[in-house]
Amino acid sequence: MRRSRKVCPVTEAGIRFIDYKDERFLSRFITDTGKILPSRLSGVDARHQRQLAKAIKKARYLALLPYTRSQSAQ
Amino acid sequence: MSREYEAVYIFDAGLEDTAIAEKLEKYHALLGTTAPITLDHWGRRQLAYKIGTKETAYYVVARFHADAAALPEFERALKLDDGVIRYLVSVHEHELGAPPMTEEQLAARRARDADDDEDEE
Repeated sequence: MRRSRKVCPVTEAGIRFIDYKDERFLSRFITDTGKILPSRLSGVDARHQRQLAKAIKKARYLALLPYTRSQSAQ
Repeated sequence: MSREYEAVYIFDAGLEDTAIAEKLEKYHALLGTTAPITLDHWGRRQLAYKIGTKETAYYVVARFHADAAALPEFERALKLDDGVIRYLVSVHEHELGAPPMTEEQLAARRARDADDDEDEE
């Protein structure tokens, strides 16, 4: 039996536009070490995953999110 | 053609608030725009990682309408200023046809975020 598809968390949250300044929202889509979470794990649809990736990269440049974080630090 | 841009400035946290306001005024004058500029001062906050030796910085978000031709001079001035640690100018993006979020919506979102935190603890 096929598992039912996860609902995209971005769509579910009713976000109309992914804002690179909203680091609290974006931090849900990065791992503890700071990597962007694959959509395979987060269930984000392809369109939103592209927007997320761009937003996370902008947020990193602005030092709102870390590029990396050592595992012992957190 | 005039477009709506959004700029995020990261100022040295050591600067006085008045000095920051002065700088903003100086740079925004370069844009040669008469339309009002929306400013959002986030204030001093922790950087996610050290930039040089700095661990905190003063964040300001500005939204303005400007001519594309005015931007290179504006960005050059920002780049030369040691008080500006980083800046990012981008076309203000929001879903086409959707109005930008109002203050109430933003407040509601902040309230929701705060609720989320309580759940986690």
